[in-house]
Amino acid sequence: MKKGILKRAVGFTMACVMAISFVGCGGNAESGTASAGGGSAASTAAGGQKVIKFFHRFPDEPYNSFIEGKLHEYEKSHPDIKFDIMSAQNQDYKEKIKVVVGGDDTPDIFFSWAGDFTERFIRENLILDLTPYMDKDPEWKNSLLANQMSLYTNKDGMIYGIPFRLDCKQFYYNTELFQKNGIEVPKTFDDLLAACAKLKAAGVTPIAYGNSEPWAGLHYIGTLNQIFVPDDVRAKDYEPTTGEFTDPGYAQAMQYYQKLLPYMTENPDGVKPDMARSMFAGGQAAIYYGELIEIPYIKADGPDLKFGMFKFPQVAGAKGNQEILTGAPEGFVISSKTKYPQECVDFLKWFLGKDVGTEQCQKIGWFNAAKDTTKGLTDQSLIDGYKVVSEATQMSAWLDNALYSTVCKEYLEEVSNLTNGSVSPQEAMKKIQGKAKEAQTLVKTGKSSQ
Amino acid sequence: MKTMNGHKTSKVLLNLLCILLCIVILAPLVWIILNSLKTNPELFKNSLSLPKAWRFDNYAKAWKLGLYRYFGNSVLVSTVSLCAILILSSFLAYGLTRFKAKGAGIIFVIVLGGMALSEQVALVPLYKMLKSLGIYDTYLAVILPYIAFRIPFTVFLMRSYFLSIPVELEEAAIVDGYNSFQIFRKIIVPISKPIFASCAIVNLNFVWNEFLFANVFLNNKAIQTIPIGLMTFKGDLRTDYTTTLAGLIIASLPLIILFFCMSKQFVRGLTAGAVKG
Amino acid sequence: MKTRKYVPYLYMLPGLLMVLSFVYIPVFMNIGYSFFRLSSYSAGAAFVGLDNYRRFFTDEAFPVMLKNNGLYCIISLIVQVGFGTILALIIESTSIAKKIKGMYRNIYFMPSLISLVAVGLMFTFIYDPNVGFLNALLKAMHLPGKAWLGDSNIAIYCIIAMSQWQFTGYIALLMCVAFQNVPEEYSEAAAIDGAGPVKRAVSILIPQAKEQLLVCSIITVIGAFKLYTEVYSTTGGGPGNSTQVLGLFLYQQAFLHDDLGMAAVTGVFIFVITVALSVLQLKVTNSGKD
Repeated sequence: MKKGILKRAVGFTMACVMAISFVGCGGNAESGTASAGGGSAASTAAGGQKVIKFFHRFPDEPYNSFIEGKLHEYEKSHPDIKFDIMSAQNQDYKEKIKVVVGGDDTPDIFFSWAGDFTERFIRENLILDLTPYMDKDPEWKNSLLANQMSLYTNKDGMIYGIPFRLDCKQFYYNTELFQKNGIEVPKTFDDLLAACAKLKAAGVTPIAYGNSEPWAGLHYIGTLNQIFVPDDVRAKDYEPTTGEFTDPGYAQAMQYYQKLLPYMTENPDGVKPDMARSMFAGGQAAIYYGELIEIPYIKADGPDLKFGMFKFPQVAGAKGNQEILTGAPEGFVISSKTKYPQECVDFLKWFLGKDVGTEQCQKIGWFNAAKDTTKGLTDQSLIDGYKVVSEATQMSAWLDNALYSTVCKEYLEEVSNLTNGSVSPQEAMKKIQGKAKEAQTLVKTGKSSQ
Repeated sequence: MKTMNGHKTSKVLLNLLCILLCIVILAPLVWIILNSLKTNPELFKNSLSLPKAWRFDNYAKAWKLGLYRYFGNSVLVSTVSLCAILILSSFLAYGLTRFKAKGAGIIFVIVLGGMALSEQVALVPLYKMLKSLGIYDTYLAVILPYIAFRIPFTVFLMRSYFLSIPVELEEAAIVDGYNSFQIFRKIIVPISKPIFASCAIVNLNFVWNEFLFANVFLNNKAIQTIPIGLMTFKGDLRTDYTTTLAGLIIASLPLIILFFCMSKQFVRGLTAGAVKG
Repeated sequence: MKTRKYVPYLYMLPGLLMVLSFVYIPVFMNIGYSFFRLSSYSAGAAFVGLDNYRRFFTDEAFPVMLKNNGLYCIISLIVQVGFGTILALIIESTSIAKKIKGMYRNIYFMPSLISLVAVGLMFTFIYDPNVGFLNALLKAMHLPGKAWLGDSNIAIYCIIAMSQWQFTGYIALLMCVAFQNVPEEYSEAAAIDGAGPVKRAVSILIPQAKEQLLVCSIITVIGAFKLYTEVYSTTGGGPGNSTQVLGLFLYQQAFLHDDLGMAAVTGVFIFVITVALSVLQLKVTNSGKD
């Protein structure tokens, strides 16, 4: 009895599919446009309050409390403003923001990375151009670090975002372990390899490294790409409409990455990046390639650790640009669909300005792009780190945010494979080239359809 | 004599196997509970050791860090969905089984066919539908799909139970002048308590733990459910491991407790309802 | 029962409408979507014919996903349905004292009540190469540890093992229920005829519970091709793409790459494969009957 029904049920489902799929095709084109009409992003709440939707990516503590505390503080001093807060963690955020941007309920203010991550929204006219607001208020413009603002400016000169936290990637090293083994701070890549060999011989894990979330590996590759591939070639390849990745420098970058692998934590693909940092903080490894924003974490996990920092060492004769400091600020943008552009700009001016910035670096150890925020800061390693990033002449967007999403995914997978030893640099680059080619056509069909 | 001995050894072996399996099931859970009561450095040093001091405040911390809000949302979403699933499915099963209505066979086939359709297949269109209905990122965005996707299996279970209820009961009630809804309320539902219990557990298990729809359809922190909340514990650049473990346990406890309280009812509903031979 | 003719349909209508509008309609719309290039934040919907299908079947992840979903399906059938059934037979046999039957059954069932996300996160701890339970155990026995989820050759097996841990008891409980439904006289009669416990299981219990077994294996097969949360919460598809599966691929295409058309194709593929395998299982059970 049941069997007969199950069978008929399956048969029915199949028959329906055949029939209605055609209807589905017909109705589909309309539904595509239906979601496009979203004009109003914010709504007015009862009592004439202006509701501003705010979407950030720091749901973990203490950052969440800091951000939400500041929002509530602003609500108190501006009774007409009410924030509607959303948040999601890094990877989730990347997925979610694409879902909500452009819909009827686009957040008014949201976190967005510099680079193609935001520029693909700009291509769809979804981001408010901040240039006129800055031109109107030169005092505001001058209060922000120019070298950081340049990363939130696109090639047409449009300023589209304001940094919330500055960041850069450097090597951190355990000064005691270096001294004990008679190692000098490496200046060239060969120095680094020699230092690693010495440490390994002494029974110390030279570099703490976790790549279970492969953006960690992509940070190495991003830096090495800058070293081995000339600026103009990289710019062309990172742009999805023209990306090819045929320059031999890309494979070379991977080869240099491979040279470091023997000196890294075992099985990095199974180790979480933050676990690697904990190992460095606990003195179990001598070197860690880390971000500026990680300094408070290192201190929390290893309160007694003495550490210094050095820039990614140089490779003699490489064809790329060795002056770039890897890293980009992360910040907020405003939706072009917001009902309250002026209110949003006013809020960001305060939220990402000097006063909040001064409090921010003391409370959570992160800097924003306002100048003169370090007054009263006592933590020497934070001050050292700030110096490096605020004085950098050239910086670069994180590789995973610079690339088109499918190319980025392929890059992440290949770096992970490379780390596992299951693919050669040449094979890896071949696959990336394939995805880049496909991305070119994807971007074009996407455009032609509008 | 020989077979008796053989029987005895096999009895011992089978019991040993069952105990061994219990260990396989329970050992990871015990390890998790143990480590949820430690500090992070203790966990890093030796995850097999007993905690030096039993840190129950990890649980308080996890709860305060926002778990309470996710928990409340889950309770709300689960309660509403579960009630709707049970009501709609029992109506549907009642209509199917007690009236000999024309076309009931086809309707049952349509509903049952829904069991073969998975959530993934509907994900993208549902997402667009919910957006154009204006309920994307509201409680309804998950509640409606939950109800729809759980009706088929629930009807499947309830229908066979209802079929096993003797017709004579209803006939007596008709003589007493009951209408169809009174019969449903006063006769069918009380008799069917076990199957309602089974369906409640099966569906609660789905709704409480559902991740895909919740992840895609809920963005606002204020309305997200527990599985999403757990993912936010997994920090971006830093994870508080022991607190995360405590959070996992808090999230899992309600259903486990509920099941152990209702396990007899649960099994009875399924036993009585299953189609025989 | 005598009532007005429309009354039974009033009971059936609300539920039926829900299923039609939130299950069937989206599934059919999905098939339509698969012929378009669609984005969730731009207006464009360009008809591209079968191009999404071509891209899907030539994607380098395609064979990997087939292998992973297939492996998950086969291993789950063997362990969850096969071993789960044997386990149910053992629990329901006379070898296990009546008093502790329920306890075993409930303990085995318990993991299936924990959310997939929680299990995924738990097992990332258990598999962690540095602090994890498994490597700590191995270390305590002076054996070398493994990278587990970090090793592209075994990562998928680690995820599959996790699911077996979680769901074998679920199937075992369903089969226990089915075996309890077999009238005791059948077994008793066979016992009098001199059939041992194994023979009784094979010739009486399993044939009597065939329907339930079929339902269990269909649930398991469909589950294997819906696989998503388990991978999302552990490896996210890595290392490389070694643990990529159809469900995660669909999600990533839709919400990471904003390629809704490609996601729809993946959905169609999942749909076709689950329906086809369900039909196949029905056929096999039917032909066994003749």
